[in-house]
Amino acid sequence: MFDFFKRLESPGVKEQSWRSQKLKTSLKENLTTLHFILADCYDVVFREFTFAQLPDIRLALIYVDGLADKIQVSNFVMRSLSLEVPPALPKEYKITKAQAFDFIRDRGLCIHQIGEANTLGEVIDAVMSGDTALLIDGHAKTIINGARGWEARSIEDSKTEAVVRGPRESFVETLRTNTSLLRRRIKNPALKIEIMPIGKITHTDVAITYIKGVVYPGLVTEVKERLSRIEIDAVLESGYLEELIDDNPLSPFCTINHTDRADKVAALLLEGRVAIITDGTPYVLTVPTLFNEIIQSPEDYYQRYFFYSLIRLIRIAALIIFLTAPASYVALLTFHQEMLPTALLLSIAGQREAVPFPTLVEVLIMDLTFEILREAGIRMPQPVGQAVSIVGALVIGEASVKAGLVAPATVIVVALTGIASFTLCYSGTLPLRLIKFPLTMIAAFTGLFGLICSLIILITHLASLRSFGIPFLYPVMPLSPAELKDVVVRAPWWALLTRPHLLGKENLHRMKTGLKPRPPGERK
Amino acid sequence: MKRKLFLILLLLLITINISGCWSKKELNEIAIILGTGVDYTKDNKIQLTYQLARPAAFGGGGMGGGPGGGAAMNQNITWVVSATGDTVFDAQKRLAQQIPRHLYLGHNVVLILDERLCRHGVLDVINFFHRQPLSRGTVWVMATPQEAKKVLESHSELQMTSAQAVGFLARLRTGYVLRFRDFSQDLASRGTNPVLTQVELKRQGVAQGPGLEKVHHHQEIVLTGAAIFKGDKLIGWLDCRETQGLRWLLKGEVRRMGVTIPSPICPGKKISLEVMKGKINIDPVYQKGKIKFFLTIKAEIDVIEQQDEEDFTRPEMIKAVENIAAAEIRQRVKTTLDKVQGEYKVDSFGFGEAFHRKHKREWSKLKNRWDEEFANAQVYLTVKVKLRDTGLQGRRASLKR
Repeated sequence: MFDFFKRLESPGVKEQSWRSQKLKTSLKENLTTLHFILADCYDVVFREFTFAQLPDIRLALIYVDGLADKIQVSNFVMRSLSLEVPPALPKEYKITKAQAFDFIRDRGLCIHQIGEANTLGEVIDAVMSGDTALLIDGHAKTIINGARGWEARSIEDSKTEAVVRGPRESFVETLRTNTSLLRRRIKNPALKIEIMPIGKITHTDVAITYIKGVVYPGLVTEVKERLSRIEIDAVLESGYLEELIDDNPLSPFCTINHTDRADKVAALLLEGRVAIITDGTPYVLTVPTLFNEIIQSPEDYYQRYFFYSLIRLIRIAALIIFLTAPASYVALLTFHQEMLPTALLLSIAGQREAVPFPTLVEVLIMDLTFEILREAGIRMPQPVGQAVSIVGALVIGEASVKAGLVAPATVIVVALTGIASFTLCYSGTLPLRLIKFPLTMIAAFTGLFGLICSLIILITHLASLRSFGIPFLYPVMPLSPAELKDVVVRAPWWALLTRPHLLGKENLHRMKTGLKPRPPGERK
Repeated sequence: MKRKLFLILLLLLITINISGCWSKKELNEIAIILGTGVDYTKDNKIQLTYQLARPAAFGGGGMGGGPGGGAAMNQNITWVVSATGDTVFDAQKRLAQQIPRHLYLGHNVVLILDERLCRHGVLDVINFFHRQPLSRGTVWVMATPQEAKKVLESHSELQMTSAQAVGFLARLRTGYVLRFRDFSQDLASRGTNPVLTQVELKRQGVAQGPGLEKVHHHQEIVLTGAAIFKGDKLIGWLDCRETQGLRWLLKGEVRRMGVTIPSPICPGKKISLEVMKGKINIDPVYQKGKIKFFLTIKAEIDVIEQQDEEDFTRPEMIKAVENIAAAEIRQRVKTTLDKVQGEYKVDSFGFGEAFHRKHKREWSKLKNRWDEEFANAQVYLTVKVKLRDTGLQGRRASLKR
């Protein structure tokens, strides 16, 4: 039954045989091999030319059209090598064939990042990542010019986590841009960005980011260990990694959060977490993840704490409504009518009088409609968006009630449930959206008794989860009362003295004590 | 192993479903009972009457109607049905044959018992409501000299149903009211006797235009006093005035009660006062086989209305008003006491319980003949009144100077 989840004994992804092959001294031979490997790669450009200093040395540039910055390559590599003699040199200065490599590397190129490669694998990897390889006749190694430049999406507002006040920048698909966004926020050499390529075919760069001295070193080791275990052909999005390094692969709850907000990642790093940035996606994984992140938003920390403490409480209420409202509604209406006030019961009974379905079916229909509309809203081509939302609103709000298919109270409950979910962190709500359905059905079969039992089971399950060694429900379970100040409410910054204890035990204190503003006379 | 585990889980999951919606009842499968009436028929049978809400009349949504529909919209808001049987349950089973839904007592507001039943003894029918898991302790219990069925067949001008109207009326505590759980306690106690609210149907309101005669000339359920029981049997009624005295005697439940007294300076003029706080202290004394009760009533009152020109800025005027009010309250309590203790010879005020609390040993000898003992007991009454507030006017505002 569980074969699907069983780890199949697979030999792993096949290595290409030429990867470890060394380069030859002869340019012609090298080019032949490379032409063979890169055959039918229409976007790879081979450019052979003669070295101006020593015309009997042939040079070859290899790069991928569209990934390499052509202006840089032509101006600062080709022009300087094929036309211009470095001006500081006397005209009569002649170099030998043997010196050519060092000369070109040291004096011939106006490129910032330069590397060397001497195996075919390295050359191909570099070219495929956007670097330009310079092959020199007579040398069994190449110069790798880091002149990358491709069309990329510019930095935009976060699409999934909007804020009213706070930085708007969010991550993009380019790893380098993403790391720069972090570095700009944490201008400290303690911010470490370690690169690890994953994906036998895609060679996706994955950056493990943390702040040395804040993060618990064992956590970094564990993250690296889990990532290095991965042998997969492709990593197209961080979701691939998420499922491969998750603590609880069989739980509906994801114990690895993701975000595209640079400020949120910076804040999480400062709490002692590790961020895993994957090239090609704006979504950065952060570990360990706690359940309470579902009710936290970066904006909480930017706005005045009084109101945003209320917002925290509202989000907790929304979380409870979101998870239990349809289930309690069904349970109350089919089992526990005595728990409703008489007037309310009569009003709902009046609404339900003409409804042809049992309450459960009614709620499921509405819930399903809502989920369909929501999915349609995400998936549909943007120009038809308006049509769908109008039809959706009409279907949900008006027509179904008018037609007597659904009681208005049901519409209210389902709509409230849907709206409540939007107050929470989107990725965290997904498992709850799933659980809502069985919960509603259990409530319809066993009433509040079954609902409460299910919730107890659910909470027990949540309490059993760990995310990279940290209990998922921390700091609620195990209870750490002092830290509820950043969960139930948002304490003012001058009171948020410490990082979360389990995460930031290496460097617990965030700030000096006694920072609460006081009049000049009373300052210490 | 895993396969087995999965199978067990699957079986467990199935059991949830076959538990089969055990007590599940959809809203449109239940008949919501709002009022219950029990009559004792001439041939000594029990006639059970239910006032059922007609959900369709409560409309809402796209079904038209909406709140405010109902009787005015020429449709019944409730459906009053009744059946006769040897017991309440017997009658209900007969009713069930006429009603295409499950009878649902969970939202019953009021239980009305008719005079014949009360005189016969209510224990015959009360047990049913004790055993019904859904019948609540918060139901208002009332007695009526009319037929309970007729009383429930009324409708209300303000509330959606007459049963709810009575419920709200009771909740305001403008008269003496009692909940089912207290009624049961009083029935079980040797130190007191139950007192029920008396309700009657009375013609209320006039037609306010042509064509409205039918709608506006109807009868509403109103509180008209109290029913004095001896054990589980009715032995007499108290009218509205006597019921006020009763309320003073019962734990001082007198908040917002009105007291009108003659003016101290001008004969024929009156002052109206409102009781803001009332307390009664019962001090039983047992001496040489004689039972005495020392009652102390403490009340705080506000001036609400004056017809003459009493000056409440003067302390002696306040004193005078306090004294007259105390005398008035004393008079009321005395009237009730005389009627209940003297005429009906029952302890309806829980004096026996107070006696029990103080004289435990003597109580065990007296408890079986408490009502007789009580009828012979001396009751001494002290009333202390404090005029708390005279409003923002020290004297009448429209005073010529």
